[in-house]
Amino acid sequence: MSFIVIENVTKTYQPNGAASRATVLGGVSTEIEEGEFVALMGPSGSGKTTLLTIIGAMSQPTEGRVVIDEVDVYDLSEERRADFRREYLGFVFQQHHLLPYLTALENVMLPLVITKLNAKEKRVKAQLALERMGLGDKFDRLPNQLSGGEQGRVAIARALVNEPPLLLADEPTGNLDSKTGDEIIGVLRALNEQGQTILMVTHNPEAAGATHRVLEIQDGVLLSESAASGCREAQSLMEEVCAD
Amino acid sequence: MRLIDIVIGGLRRRKGRMAFIVIGLAVGVGTVVALRSLTATMEQEIGAQLDQYGANIVIVPKASSQELSYGGITLSAATFDLRQLKDEDVSRIKTIKYANRLSLIAPKLLGAVEVDGQKFLLSGAQLDQEVRMKQWWQVVGRVPDKADELLVGYEAAQKLGVIETAKSVGHESMLHSDHASVRQPELKLLRTELTLGGEPFRVAGVIQQTGAQDDQMIFAGLPTAQRVLRKPGELSLIEVSALCQGCPIDDIVAQLSAALPEAKVSALQQAVRARLQTVERLSRFSTALSVVMLLIGFVIVFITMMNSVVERTREVGVLRALGFRKSHIVRIFMIEASLISLLGGLLGWAVGALSGVLSAPWFTETGAVVKPSLALALAALAAAVLVGVASSLYPAIKAAKLDPTEALRYY
Repeated sequence: MSFIVIENVTKTYQPNGAASRATVLGGVSTEIEEGEFVALMGPSGSGKTTLLTIIGAMSQPTEGRVVIDEVDVYDLSEERRADFRREYLGFVFQQHHLLPYLTALENVMLPLVITKLNAKEKRVKAQLALERMGLGDKFDRLPNQLSGGEQGRVAIARALVNEPPLLLADEPTGNLDSKTGDEIIGVLRALNEQGQTILMVTHNPEAAGATHRVLEIQDGVLLSESAASGCREAQSLMEEVCAD
Repeated sequence: MRLIDIVIGGLRRRKGRMAFIVIGLAVGVGTVVALRSLTATMEQEIGAQLDQYGANIVIVPKASSQELSYGGITLSAATFDLRQLKDEDVSRIKTIKYANRLSLIAPKLLGAVEVDGQKFLLSGAQLDQEVRMKQWWQVVGRVPDKADELLVGYEAAQKLGVIETAKSVGHESMLHSDHASVRQPELKLLRTELTLGGEPFRVAGVIQQTGAQDDQMIFAGLPTAQRVLRKPGELSLIEVSALCQGCPIDDIVAQLSAALPEAKVSALQQAVRARLQTVERLSRFSTALSVVMLLIGFVIVFITMMNSVVERTREVGVLRALGFRKSHIVRIFMIEASLISLLGGLLGWAVGALSGVLSAPWFTETGAVVKPSLALALAALAAAVLVGVASSLYPAIKAAKLDPTEALRYY
């Protein structure tokens, strides 16, 4: 069994005043292996973020199931699913979403707040995660005292501090300049090389080019359900950016 | 790092909002504290005044009130073989369960005496106590403290030539409460030697005109009166002052009746009730106002917390995505509410206690001092936290129910 199994995931909702339900995801099935770096691409409104939240144990699909490491995520109660997110998943958000009133170190410690670790263990773990991101000298900076790239790396450190088997990234380069975007993609790639499984939503072909595989989604269905090389996949989308 | 560290970090960031709630709660709590401490002091003051203003329970021999009236002619029951009140009855009063609520026990003996061929009513009592009870008395000279000394009422004193007969003094009737504002003529004692029942006495003092029966009376110490009237150990009546705040007058009367089965115990209900009602009305008013103030506090905290929840939708979403349970989110908001309202309660108590102390002169008559009480401080803190927590409960639950995917939406 693959590390992540997504089986016929459907999401519909009832728009206000509409007679019939609108379909966001129309039966998505795919699998992701441990150690893979997968990009999820698609135009705005294609359902890629919805799919990410469903894989991320945050939004119950209307139909279908998500199995991560042999755990059927939506069989869990809501509170247990919160625990699952803490133990299995790391999130990197588009705008990083660091809490502005906490220092870099405190932001990284956030997922540890509700664990049973003692104060020192929490601190050491968070320090290690930040050092791994090359921010060993910025522990006590507030987010607004950090550059965009540094904020992104703090967000990644926060996502990884619990050592989750799966890292989910939602447009991590979304509103960064290209140099900073490259910096973040470089970090993710390095992590993947160390064995981290990563699923990244992006509409940046260059970012997608760094992955093993691209899942392309349009109108709630996967267009190309498997591809040997993300680079080739991206190439077909936008020839000129995939130089190497 | 713990949940509370997240809360404190957040509060530091949103100082303005926090200050708004703190001030809102502080105003509410402060008003309540100021009101409560003022009314408590006013109650005490009124209670103290009532205690001083005399007895409100009168104990008389049972038969003496069994007067038979027929066609306007009153037949005294004096012919019955009465069981008189005795000195020992005073100590029996002190054995009742509520004895500690009795602020004053004043035994008295009344009887007619002849002085210079004129009849006067002699009252034997503990004179120092009597003067304390009858605050409107103004004694010229001094209060007798020896067995052979007398205190004489204004009119009696005139009749006996103890003082000059009034020429200019009109018959202004004296009101107890504003005795200070009525002009009193200077009195000089012209005569200090009186003979009662063949014994020589000295006049120690004269009571300024009171407009009451006291003006026609002569007062002496109780043992003296018992000797002069030849009624050793006997009492005509015992006055008991039991008017303290919340005193169970009815129970006290019942207990006194049980202790003195042969006596008639009656509470001066009307006066007592009217005065107590005033105090109670005041206290009810302050309670009602307190409830309103706390309700306003509740609304302020509620609205502010609801806004805070909306503002922090993203933040809650992030925490939920990071694996915080709903219960963690509720706890974060409740810790925040408790901290803020504790601060508001503390500030409110300080402001309220201070303004209570400072404004006391405007509200009290006798210059009673408002003392900040620990019980009130604790109650204020408890009320603030209760209001803060209760009003934040719904916003906190609402925050916990936010969709974690909010964190992934872009605005």
